[in-house]
Amino acid sequence: MKKIIIFGLGLLLTGVSCTKVDNYPGPDSAFQGNIIDSVTGKNLLTESQGLNIELKQLSWSDNPDPYYIPVKDDGSFQDTRIFSGHYSVIPTQGAFWPADSIVTDIKGAAAHNFTVVPYLEITNFTHVQAGDSLVMTCQISAPRTAGLPQILEVWPFVNNTPFVGSGAYISQLTISDHNSPSYNLADINSTWNNGIATTTYKVSVHGLLNGRTYYARVGVRVNDSYKKYNLSEVVQVVMPPEK
Amino acid sequence: MKKVKYISLILAVIIIGSCHKLDVPPLSIISESQVFSTANGIQAYLANMYTFLPMEDFVYEPDKGFLTGDGGRWQNFYQMDAIDGEMAGPYGGVGDAAQGFGLWPYDRIRNINVLLYSLPKYASNYTQDQVNEWLGEAYFCRAYTYFALVKRYGGVPIVRTVIDPNATTASLQVPRNTEEDVYNFIGSDLDSAYNLMWEPGAGGHPAIQQGAASKYAAMAYKSRVMLFAGSIAKYGAVNYVDGDARAKGFAGGIPAGDATKFFQAAYDAAKLVEGHFSLYTGGYPDKVQNYVDVFMKPNNEQIFIRQYSLSDPQRNNDNSGPHSYDATMTCRYMTADGLSRTYPSLDYVERFGPLPIVNTDGTPTRFSDRADLMNSLEPRLLATIYFPGSTLRGLTFDVQRGIYKTFNGSAAQELSNNLNTPNDVNTNWPDTTDPGKNLLFAANSNQLYRGRRIVGLAGWNPSTGDDNTRTGLYLRKYVDYAKQQSACGLYQSAQSYIDMRYAEVLLNRAEAAFELGTLQADALGDINQLRDRAGAAPATASMTIDTIRNERCKELGFEHQYWWDIRRWRTADQVLDNRKIYALLPYYIATENKYIFLKQVEPFQRTYTFQKKWYYEPLPGGELSRNPNLFPNNPGY
Repeated sequence: MKKIIIFGLGLLLTGVSCTKVDNYPGPDSAFQGNIIDSVTGKNLLTESQGLNIELKQLSWSDNPDPYYIPVKDDGSFQDTRIFSGHYSVIPTQGAFWPADSIVTDIKGAAAHNFTVVPYLEITNFTHVQAGDSLVMTCQISAPRTAGLPQILEVWPFVNNTPFVGSGAYISQLTISDHNSPSYNLADINSTWNNGIATTTYKVSVHGLLNGRTYYARVGVRVNDSYKKYNLSEVVQVVMPPEK
Repeated sequence: MKKVKYISLILAVIIIGSCHKLDVPPLSIISESQVFSTANGIQAYLANMYTFLPMEDFVYEPDKGFLTGDGGRWQNFYQMDAIDGEMAGPYGGVGDAAQGFGLWPYDRIRNINVLLYSLPKYASNYTQDQVNEWLGEAYFCRAYTYFALVKRYGGVPIVRTVIDPNATTASLQVPRNTEEDVYNFIGSDLDSAYNLMWEPGAGGHPAIQQGAASKYAAMAYKSRVMLFAGSIAKYGAVNYVDGDARAKGFAGGIPAGDATKFFQAAYDAAKLVEGHFSLYTGGYPDKVQNYVDVFMKPNNEQIFIRQYSLSDPQRNNDNSGPHSYDATMTCRYMTADGLSRTYPSLDYVERFGPLPIVNTDGTPTRFSDRADLMNSLEPRLLATIYFPGSTLRGLTFDVQRGIYKTFNGSAAQELSNNLNTPNDVNTNWPDTTDPGKNLLFAANSNQLYRGRRIVGLAGWNPSTGDDNTRTGLYLRKYVDYAKQQSACGLYQSAQSYIDMRYAEVLLNRAEAAFELGTLQADALGDINQLRDRAGAAPATASMTIDTIRNERCKELGFEHQYWWDIRRWRTADQVLDNRKIYALLPYYIATENKYIFLKQVEPFQRTYTFQKKWYYEPLPGGELSRNPNLFPNNPGY
């Protein structure tokens, strides 16, 4: 019995001796901010997964692995678990012209607002619901036209929560399959020209159900590296009660 | 006193014993000289090289790799064609496998370099021809391995020597070479292989051995590699993701002006293969059976294959054990074990032209027998796909989606009125006794309406998940029709995987010729050789690059090529852009005693989208942390 206790104690001591105390500080800093649309001066209209903040911790290595903070659907971002250090930071992988990076120290609660130039702005956005259909119209303007990638198409997005966008829409309402007779995107497929600026684009979705509340918006994308969307604001569509 | 005596004796023994140095060759390690001083040793070494070639064969999984172990090795439906829209398969989307699995076979490259370095030291044991043949095979294998890397990552470190593992860390951290350098390196290795290897079957040399490389195999692969390089030079110049790695020429950024050089090299290489291999026509005049047997019988079209052995118990350690293609490409109803999960898309079938399923007035064409649909189709298509109503192992592909009591009006109207919410249809089994229902579905194939099955034995049958065709179609290519059903179990298939066949060489040649812009007539001739064998109408001089590409997709369908083709053409982000896969679903009309086919989105309604950054895979994170000279990582990662 005694032997077993001694043996057990020895085992315990051996095990304890293996723990090493990590002498690096934990990820105890925070970084937050907003993505500002250079045209409107307000937060960029975006969606979940619409863009990322890319951080490279220069004080860690010469070739740091990039670390991404996803930007929220309201155009803000926040991460409260960041290692203190010297960083290069840039908003990227979204529907805007390549932005400038900043080099900054992140320690404690750091904050920075980034201003980006969207590829396109959606203006004069309207929506009309009639019967089981929702018709949305909009116009498109381009803050910068020189070198703007090909503009692809205008998409209607409808969802039953306020989180609506290219990753969250009811797939029976947005038919992006060219083979389908119900295809309901508005094709542009052209580089920028004045005709685009003066056109009113109309997209219609059909099959809305009575008694529901929908949230809708339109999005337009260009053929750049990421094919993300410039979006309109979200509108609420309250359908008449079920018969 | 006694103690002292003993102690000094023991000490003396130890001291004297210590003078012996232990310098005998270890018995557990095979030395270089043992391997390279006998022909058997070298052949065993080469066999090992071949079995570990990164070949995308039956058991390859695009997200897991080449050796997937006993648990993964049988699941042959996890194949590349199921992520690119060619098939509807188990993957939920392109992203499931688009970033690869971190292939980094520098251990295999080292093995090859060991042979290239060491074999010449033992050259006096052999004839010069023999030594050159072996060296040529090693160059071939090195080129093959590097191509597997460059098509995934772009530029990777080129290692030509056997690096001493005890060298300084800095010298072990070999930097990335540019993408163009790697292509040139592969080209020169394949040239070395061609120049060193003997003329098979001539001058007393043996004929080409199945499963081994030959000098013409080297040229066949050179046509593949150079065409790949030419395509990304030309199309990668306009469709790309910008980043450091592109600016430095590691991933993209090959000057568009160099495309011609690569296309010319592809054409020249393909032309050298002419006369040494040929399209298989041994099964004529039946062009369907002939095309089926291209894949099932050894023939002179097969340039480089991987063989499998039913008696090899190894399923985890090498690539030569049996596979399970027969058990996993056809539904359980026709096999002895396993299940199927991946099915050809109707989109593939429509490459051959629209099917005659809709009349000019828009109503669905009525068929007395489902098999009648096949009457007007191209033999090659029939040999590639099992359509509803065809037979295998004495059983009919009884595919039926449901029963219409009556059917009026057009197909398009029916699709938009009653079949526009397939997800509801899957989960909501209508009560078949409800007299108000016109369209009947059932949860399983035992449910009858007036004595007739509502859904077919071979699909689409919701109760078995995806072990029944989601697209109405089954794959026929490579499926062993001669096997008894009882022999179609897991690990019971050993048909060879054909990694390179002469049809591809012709397609490489035609595409390169057409891209060069000066050899259209040559391209037309190549395409028409294939069309003739396929039983299709010949192409005409008005042929375009799209004709050639479509011919490639038809001929090489389900041979794991399409994924790489849409990547090198830089069209993947367009053809896989919120893309749905279509199915060909048969219905029975009770009042008419006829069948119709409707073209619908496959029942799982999956969406396939390719992000542009996936034109290159990310370098493996573990390698980046070991070797800072691999930075920058590819754009977007």
